[in-house]
Amino acid sequence: MNYIQLEKLGEGTYATVYKGRSRTTNEIVALKEIHLDAEEGTPSTAIREISLMKELKHVNIVRLHDVIHTETKLVLIFEYCEQDLKKYMDQHGERGALDMNTVRSFMFQLLKGTAFCHENQVLHRDLKPQNLLINRKGELKLGDFGLARAFGVPVNTFSNEVVTLWYRAPDVLLGSRTYSTSIDVWSCGCIFAEMISGSPLFRGRDNQDQLLHIMRIIGTPSDAQFQKLAKEAPEIQIKQFPRYAKMPFQQVLPKASPQALDLLERLLKFDPAERLSAAEALQHPYFTSTGPGPAPSFGMNSMNSMGSINAMNPVGAMPPPPPPSSFPAYGHSSSSAQAQAQAQAQAQYQQQHSQHQQHPQHQSWGHPAANVGVGLGAPPQQAQQPQQGVNRAAYGMPPPGPGMPQGGMGVGQGMRAVPQQGQGMVYGQPVQGQGGQMGYGHPMGGYGHGQ
Amino acid sequence: MATLYPLASLAQIENTPSKQDGIPDDLEEDLRAYGCKLIHQAGILLKQKQVAVAAAQVLFQRFWFVTSMKQFGVGDIGMGALYLASKLEECPIRMRDLINVYDLLLQRASHALVGKSVDMFQYHPMSYFGNTFYDMKDALVVAEMQILKRLGFNVHVVLPYGTLINYLRVLELTNREDVCTKAWGYLNDAHQTPVYALYQVPTIVCAAILLATRQLQIPLPSEPPACWWELFDADWEDVWSVGGSIMRLYRKRTEEEKNRVVGLVNKKDVRSWLEENAPQAGSDSTSAMSVT
Ligand SMILES: Nc1ncnc2c1ncn2[C@@H]1O[C@H](COP(=O)(O)OP(=O)(O)OP(=O)(O)O)[C@@H](O)[C@H]1O
Ligand SMILES: [Mg+2]
Repeated sequence: MNYIQLEKLGEGTYATVYKGRSRTTNEIVALKEIHLDAEEGTPSTAIREISLMKELKHVNIVRLHDVIHTETKLVLIFEYCEQDLKKYMDQHGERGALDMNTVRSFMFQLLKGTAFCHENQVLHRDLKPQNLLINRKGELKLGDFGLARAFGVPVNTFSNEVVTLWYRAPDVLLGSRTYSTSIDVWSCGCIFAEMISGSPLFRGRDNQDQLLHIMRIIGTPSDAQFQKLAKEAPEIQIKQFPRYAKMPFQQVLPKASPQALDLLERLLKFDPAERLSAAEALQHPYFTSTGPGPAPSFGMNSMNSMGSINAMNPVGAMPPPPPPSSFPAYGHSSSSAQAQAQAQAQAQYQQQHSQHQQHPQHQSWGHPAANVGVGLGAPPQQAQQPQQGVNRAAYGMPPPGPGMPQGGMGVGQGMRAVPQQGQGMVYGQPVQGQGGQMGYGHPMGGYGHGQ
Repeated sequence: MATLYPLASLAQIENTPSKQDGIPDDLEEDLRAYGCKLIHQAGILLKQKQVAVAAAQVLFQRFWFVTSMKQFGVGDIGMGALYLASKLEECPIRMRDLINVYDLLLQRASHALVGKSVDMFQYHPMSYFGNTFYDMKDALVVAEMQILKRLGFNVHVVLPYGTLINYLRVLELTNREDVCTKAWGYLNDAHQTPVYALYQVPTIVCAAILLATRQLQIPLPSEPPACWWELFDADWEDVWSVGGSIMRLYRKRTEEEKNRVVGLVNKKDVRSWLEENAPQAGSDSTSAMSVT
């Protein structure tokens, strides 16, 4: 490796993190080592972490510098940060509680990083103090994007899994699988309260207990509210809960300013739809009004490396004519059962799609069982198409409809003989410093140096 | 980031690694399509979610723009792609199940190859302690890792179905069930071609709509300045070209052509095929990257 491994910095559920020094630049980095398992292959947490983090370049997100992939392990090279927020609070806080300016600065940065993720359609899903890193300059950065385990995998056994529970949104605790950005906002709210008071706001032992802890403070939702939640996320299980009245946050966090409490209140809404977005929260008077001390501002430097894309032509010329009766060797059929199944799936899909932000899991895109074993689902039957015009037939394209203008249909028209270079992203090209270009083959442009 | 994904470069398209190794275009095309069919069939047998199957096919197609079929077989890479995509879509499958299913599919295919009838086919499950199982498991882990590595972890895939619904709505065609079904079918079929590695989703969706509406003889405004595909920022030439790629799937194939791919699922077979058939075309320029 190109890095000298120094002391251990921390241990997570699937990785060990070491301090490291680059042999070439002497730069101090964090080395996150993930062992590859012969039973599981590459852990999905690692796959997600790498594929997402290499795109997310922001001051408030830990930068992934490089990836080293060997037979037995994956090593992720991250920018080094002195401490995670948990340790920071233990060391610098008054019994864990941070001073008001630090709280505001960290909260601002936490929301900045979170908003940036959300803008880029990434959910962190595991925001908690141990996963927020603080460097010497007082910059706070989101780390640990190994989020795959937040869903799909049963949560138990590891004690630190319980820690994660404390930052988990009530809709998720109720079983919602239609999670979206609001679950991260909830965690931000919990962390906010924890920085102010020095201890976690909701400390449940298990799912149910966690919900009770939440309700004891923010109150039990009304039946109408529960019904609304269940309507929006049908997979939610609603049980009977004791009726708790809402407690004023003032009472929970006596030290906090009215503006801080107002923001907290808007982040910790039981109904996910009512929670502020991270971007909205950044506009809150808690940050913008001139309170004690200037609102912290850290350089944004948000480089989103997406250029415009022009697609290019694929291989060579147009296909030869399909002889009229020579359709799919692989599975086609248009039995009415199949058509029905598809129409149904379609309707279902549309319905789901019109509700906002459905997780793909809920989408069914109509693969009629009729096709089992035959091939890719249901190419539409190529009904005897009238072969109008030689050119058209020569390309095997269906003819234009009646009364449809015929522009651009002839041989050579609208066809490039040679594919043309698309701008933007390509496979297999180094990416670093090429704003707007990304590529396959080299995750960081400097892929695998260390080997 | 969520709606765009990287595409193959011009150089990668014009001169794929397989081509550089002397594999003819049409054979590569057939092997790509056959590998996708295997992924699809395995997905059905495993009752895997369609999103994972489709994503696997896209990763599979991308892979052949960075690696030659002389270095990896379409069977192994297809298996690795399905395993990987299942993790990405958060519906992981068990290695053992996947391996069994591939073993069955390949046995069934070679059974048909020697001309025996399908009802005569009897699957001989492998022993878990035998070499086949361990070899396949090894190949699977390597395939997954190689896909990740060679694609540089660019495993973000955007599927076209939501976009199709939106476009049909804009074109006021959602009440035409036949259009929806046909266009949907074309999008599925397109997964057997490389188009998802070559074009962004809007272009592919427009091509599916073009094919469907032409088949059903439904006129849409197609005269400048009012061309329907421009509503979706698609380029006519690209749309046309994607349509052509899809239609190519339906061209007539001889039995021989259909059988050829079955015998070339492994890189070993591809290598011996090359020795017998191809003059050493081009140098073995990708072997420097080879990890096997
Ligand atoms: N870039 C870094 N600089 C300094 N310390 C770090 C860095 N990254 C991680 N650490 C330390 O290592 C710990 C574990 O890292 P991380 O959370 O990324 O691993 P993990 O296996 O995903 O953890 P878990 O799954 O248990 O949350 C962190 O809590 C932190 O203390
Ligand atoms: Mg962690």
